[in-house]
Amino acid sequence: MRGFSIRVYAGTAVLLLAMAGCGGGGSGGGSGGASIPATPPPPTPSPPTVADTSRFLDQATFGVTAGDVGLVQVIGFQAYLAQQLAATPSQYSGFSYTPHTAPATCQYHPATPTDASSLCSRDQYSLFQVQRQFFTHALSDADQLRQRVAFALSQIFVVSGVEIYEAYGMADYQNMLLNDAFVNFRSLLQDVTLSPVMGHYLNMADNDKTNAALGTSPNENYGREVLQLFSIGLYQLNPDGSQMLDSTGAPIPTYDQNVIEGFSSVFTGWTFPPLAGAASQWTNPINYDGMMVAFDSHHEPGTKLLLNGLTLPAGQTSAQDLQMALDDIFNHPNVGPFIGKQLIQHLVTSNPSPAYIARVSAVFADSGSGVRGDMGAVVQAILTDPEARGDAPATANFGRLREPALFITAMLRSLGGQSDGVLPRNAISAMGQPIFTPQTVFNFYPPSFVLPGTETLAPEFGIENAATALARANFVNTVIMQGGAKADPTVTGSTGTSIDLTALSAITYPDGLIAQLNQTLMHGSLSSAASAVILAAVNAQSATDPLAAARTASYLMLSSAQYQVER
Amino acid sequence: MQRRKFLLHAGALAGTAALGQMGVFASRAATASDYKALVCLFLYGGNDSNNMVVPVDSAGYANYASVRADLALPQAQLLPLQESGGVLRYGFHPALPGLQGLWTSGNLAVVANVGTLVQPLTQAQYLSNSTQKPATLFSHIDQQHEWQSSISTTSSNTGWGGRLSDQFNSLNANSSVPPMISTGGNNLFVTAAATQALVIPVSGSFGLNGFSSSGADAARRSALVSLLGVDRDADLTSAAQDVMSGALSSSAILNPILTSSTATVAQYFTGLTTNFALQLLAIAKVIEAQSELGAQRQVFLATLGSFDTHTDELNQQQALFAQLDPALSAFNAAMAAIGAGSSVTTFTLSDFSRTFSPNTGGGSDHAWGSHHLVMGGAVHGGQIYGTMPTLTPAGPDDAGTEGRWIPTIAVDQYAATLAAWFGADASTLATVLPNLAAFSPSTLNFV
Repeated sequence: MRGFSIRVYAGTAVLLLAMAGCGGGGSGGGSGGASIPATPPPPTPSPPTVADTSRFLDQATFGVTAGDVGLVQVIGFQAYLAQQLAATPSQYSGFSYTPHTAPATCQYHPATPTDASSLCSRDQYSLFQVQRQFFTHALSDADQLRQRVAFALSQIFVVSGVEIYEAYGMADYQNMLLNDAFVNFRSLLQDVTLSPVMGHYLNMADNDKTNAALGTSPNENYGREVLQLFSIGLYQLNPDGSQMLDSTGAPIPTYDQNVIEGFSSVFTGWTFPPLAGAASQWTNPINYDGMMVAFDSHHEPGTKLLLNGLTLPAGQTSAQDLQMALDDIFNHPNVGPFIGKQLIQHLVTSNPSPAYIARVSAVFADSGSGVRGDMGAVVQAILTDPEARGDAPATANFGRLREPALFITAMLRSLGGQSDGVLPRNAISAMGQPIFTPQTVFNFYPPSFVLPGTETLAPEFGIENAATALARANFVNTVIMQGGAKADPTVTGSTGTSIDLTALSAITYPDGLIAQLNQTLMHGSLSSAASAVILAAVNAQSATDPLAAARTASYLMLSSAQYQVER
Repeated sequence: MQRRKFLLHAGALAGTAALGQMGVFASRAATASDYKALVCLFLYGGNDSNNMVVPVDSAGYANYASVRADLALPQAQLLPLQESGGVLRYGFHPALPGLQGLWTSGNLAVVANVGTLVQPLTQAQYLSNSTQKPATLFSHIDQQHEWQSSISTTSSNTGWGGRLSDQFNSLNANSSVPPMISTGGNNLFVTAAATQALVIPVSGSFGLNGFSSSGADAARRSALVSLLGVDRDADLTSAAQDVMSGALSSSAILNPILTSSTATVAQYFTGLTTNFALQLLAIAKVIEAQSELGAQRQVFLATLGSFDTHTDELNQQQALFAQLDPALSAFNAAMAAIGAGSSVTTFTLSDFSRTFSPNTGGGSDHAWGSHHLVMGGAVHGGQIYGTMPTLTPAGPDDAGTEGRWIPTIAVDQYAATLAAWFGADASTLATVLPNLAAFSPSTLNFV
């Protein structure tokens, strides 16, 4: 019986893969820098199954590794989450301030793409190195959950390389999200608001008060998007994420143009932090290190209509108005369901049930110790929810299409691969997700994207199409069939990208090979029909090429929709 | 060969539940040999059309310059748009010389103050909330969706390009590729009842890499295809499988066309390297191959982004128009060269226009009604259709105080005019544009 052989071979090969992973990018518990809490939480009643553990790790990390499966099976979900919440944040490093306009010595020359000037341009005036580090951190660093949440936050609190092209600026912003991944939402919102990177991207930096002589009024960009995208959305929500309806059955807007103008007036009077050693003035030159600074003489002085019926009094300082406005947003009842649902979609499933959203909203409203907005507690609630857990998906439309970044990292981590991030960084654009560079503040795809002809939410399908789907399969081809990429001599410490399939190729019994990959990649969910299809292809490979079977089975599984839709 | 073609088409429509609906055909007047294509250009972010079409007469320009202040374009740089009878009221942005030439040759029209509406709306009705307004005005994604769907009362899962295309499936029965093709990613405009546009890349090859003719590779490829046909019980999985099915069949046909070095249209794009120009070149190549592909009604989408000019507007819009203008000129010339000039109509959509009053940051904010461009040999060009708004903040056309023009032409009417040219009769228009009856006239005669 097939089932019998799967069990036998699965057990054997877990050990093989665990060994193979030691020299690779495995972030397993053994290599983690996280300190185990002094007082361990109460033990989980019974150890989670391999299948549920693997599903959990697909949701909480950048890809399941045998080491992490072993760790979580020993310590349980709660203790693993406690470790992860306490893990030291990984950081983008090696960047420092550069002026907004690149000097002549830092220009890209197409004819000489590897001369010093071109490389300076690439490394300091494009996101190349930041994007590369995104992958190296995701593949190897121990703070997997923190990075996963920070990546989700980067797709909610969007800034883009389209305008933030200075590497140090994007590094600063992403480091902030890594540091803030589990802080209170109110702190996160303030840090985002006062970030000079966001300030430049959505124009709160240098936003001046009304000039009656010129007929100009405050820039509405940040005032609008902070409400629509970063906190409450367009319509009043119930705690379960559904829209409240008025007596005619129509949804109820959360704000109108007057409120937009109120918030736009609040967000006036801020400019970039002064350069080191320079006097601060209205306005300071573009500088992304630090937080924006206020100039009350450029702050709109009048009253401001905000949310929840609040009108700010006239004559307050920039900082006073800002604090009260952010409190006003933070206390709006929409924040829990609006942000909670999106985090569920980024981590677990595109179509959470209303009850799931409501449970997460309740934790946002009160962490259990009377705290509103505890994002660590929210993340724990999302990952331990009964709808997320179990050996198999809770519903037919449960799960999510692995977005390109996670598709790449998961395959490399699960198969013990290694990468300097260069190939992934280069290849992901054709898949529709150039890291930290969506076209607009609306991210690569909207949370509301619906599969054509259905009512099924599928955000990541906003960038899934013929061109991007082929790019995914072709990436698998490059890494699995063609040996990956060699080291790039223009990148310090470059190692290229590769997956060593030697351990898999040691499983000479085709059924066992497929069973092992099924467990490693798919939580054991591969159907017998799909397994038979892969088996036939494996059996058609040359017996004299020791890697042919492992490559074929890996290629087919990784390029399949069954793998790419994580359920 | 016939069977292969059938399978390819089936693959392109995989997952559709609408096969049964294909009996409803609108194209009764169409002949079997004609060909028409609509090319939608979506200008993402909200193009400030106040600086695309600018008054050039003394009084009009003086008013414009006084309100626009730092955003005002110099009068001497505007490109005059001579109307019939020698009337000269408006000029184009200085970065649009190619479009000015197309205006003069009668291949380009301007449609004034088009926007999302539920029904005709006066300023008094708007201010008194007595008449239904479009949902979520001034929001990017929502206004994009309303332009793409021509439905402003609620969110829609289909676009008007998609619904229109669905009505013409009978004319595309012999097409080896899907009837809608996008070079700008997935988009609601080209989302039909059960299908969406095929998205093609604009550079590199379009296809699956890494398969030789060896038996081992053939077996691997066969397995890849077989995996698309099993485990289809979950929506997300089957959707991903359908995308790949369509990709495999369509790329095999289109890759030789897209990578062709002998396409007639290519010479018109010589020297144009922007992504937007490459999008139009790819579309032009597909149109050139239409007799080979067998489609008779195609809907295309190309996109150009970064029109959300809250700051630095003069420089940003200049740079964007400098991409738009030569690419559109090249496309129009290419279509004429292959004899498709009157078979292809190209038009703009955008989120909204921008406030006529500038903000304090050298830019402008989200507004509403906007002017649009329609280009092609079938266009009744050299004219402005509709009524230009009175360019006065808090004036008779303003929804507020900053110059957010209340539209005087509905998206529905704009869409209906293009759809009627495509071949839709009155009943088809009513199906494709369910809110069209609220507006009169239903079409505008610009094409």
